[in-house]
Amino acid sequence: MSDLPPDPHRLPDQGEWFSADAERHLLDRPKFCPMCGEDLEADGGITTEYWAGDTRNFMTWCGDCGWFGEVVRFDMVTIQEEEH
Amino acid sequence: MLTVEQNEELTQVGPGTPMGELLRRYWYPIAFEQDFDDVFTKSVRLLGENWTLFKTPKSGRYGIVAEACPHRRASLTYGVVHEDGIRCGYHGWKWDFDGTCLEQPAEADNQNFRDRVRQKAGKAEVMGGMVWVYVGPDPAPELPRFDVFVMDGVKDCGYATLPCNWLQIMENSVDPHHVEWLHGQYFEFLGQTQGFDAPKSFQKKHIKTGFDEMEWGILKRRVLEGSTEENDDWKIGHPLVFPYFMRVGGAGIDQMQIRVPIDDTTTWKLFYSNHAPQGAEPADQARPVFYEYLWRDEQGRHITDYIEGQDVMAWVSQGPVTDRTQEHLGRSDAGVAMLRKMFKENMKKVANGEDPIGTVREKHDRIDLPCEKDKFGAEREFAEAWITLGSSRYSPIKQDLLDLHNRAWANREKSSASS
Repeated sequence: MSDLPPDPHRLPDQGEWFSADAERHLLDRPKFCPMCGEDLEADGGITTEYWAGDTRNFMTWCGDCGWFGEVVRFDMVTIQEEEH
Repeated sequence: MLTVEQNEELTQVGPGTPMGELLRRYWYPIAFEQDFDDVFTKSVRLLGENWTLFKTPKSGRYGIVAEACPHRRASLTYGVVHEDGIRCGYHGWKWDFDGTCLEQPAEADNQNFRDRVRQKAGKAEVMGGMVWVYVGPDPAPELPRFDVFVMDGVKDCGYATLPCNWLQIMENSVDPHHVEWLHGQYFEFLGQTQGFDAPKSFQKKHIKTGFDEMEWGILKRRVLEGSTEENDDWKIGHPLVFPYFMRVGGAGIDQMQIRVPIDDTTTWKLFYSNHAPQGAEPADQARPVFYEYLWRDEQGRHITDYIEGQDVMAWVSQGPVTDRTQEHLGRSDAGVAMLRKMFKENMKKVANGEDPIGTVREKHDRIDLPCEKDKFGAEREFAEAWITLGSSRYSPIKQDLLDLHNRAWANREKSSASS
């Protein structure tokens, strides 16, 4: 089996305290725009990850179509019930 | 959290980098007019490059060229300034304001050689007592005459050179919650342990924050405990002025916080204030007062018993360039994420040959920016805290500023008592 090409993305040094989180960000961040489907990275887009409770949120801007919104990863759908 | 490549793209400001190309579309203050009272040249550094800033002896016109002479790379700062340009002190090669080579004394008078060498040059103008430069491509935009730099009042400006990238300072400007903690709870802790009264207005809790994209950048709003959306902090807010200012103010004080990217790990940080409280006429001022503020003591510890010293500690202690692959943002950092998107969006505009946000092409007298007048609902306390517990504590005219505000306050009280 041929060798895989070198990974073009660099990671922080494995000795860094949060290198596992950085690795997960690289692997889990949205790669394509939810609206137009274009490659986010190739068209100058950006996705910034922030955490809220148990969710991982990716505030995402597509450089191709201009879509600006959030992509959210969660393990369990939770609903905070309003007062009723 | 970002990838390594995205962090580098957002923070590298040198020539040819995407951020560097974007930032070169704007004007920057790089020196004070008074710097040229006794000399005609000054070496300055901006966006990772070294420049010679010069002023002609008779007409007082300013120019800026790359510092290294294209001949043998000697510094043009040690050259001869003429009315039509600058001559290298080493071999006399002369350059005009646009970088055209006018003379090469030791060479045969050969037009071809002169036409084949060119010096990198920008544009320079004066505003608000400072020398501003543009080192990007032609056609240069107009120098934006933001209100603080041209309005009437007493001008007072603290400056320091900080060993950190300018972007982490800008991210602070879209992070309203830090006020409640850094300038509120941390300041209170220092006050209690060191025996002084920290201002209470900074301790108010945030109920709601908001960010709007607007023509100059991002408008920041907040509702604090005890206030509503009818208060200035929400109704008016104040802007992060893309790409390197924040406009703040209140209680008769208007300020531009300026973050000039010197290079990837250095920022020239200025707090440029205009004092014009209602009720008192400020004395005439020939020039703004410029002074250096301290942010480290003799032992190298951060000085954090004043507002801007606390901010400087937060910025510099993040490291020369914040490692955003190691950060963990929360919902309260939404403004930070929005700012990063704005930078990417405008990098793309520049790459496509368009003007980025905030480019001014029309001649104008003054650009007014939205800003709260009643800040944190604490007018008099806010003005006093600004002067005595802010970088103005280092100002040589600190007492004059306090007297001006006290006089204004007394006149307003007298006036409302008699009406």
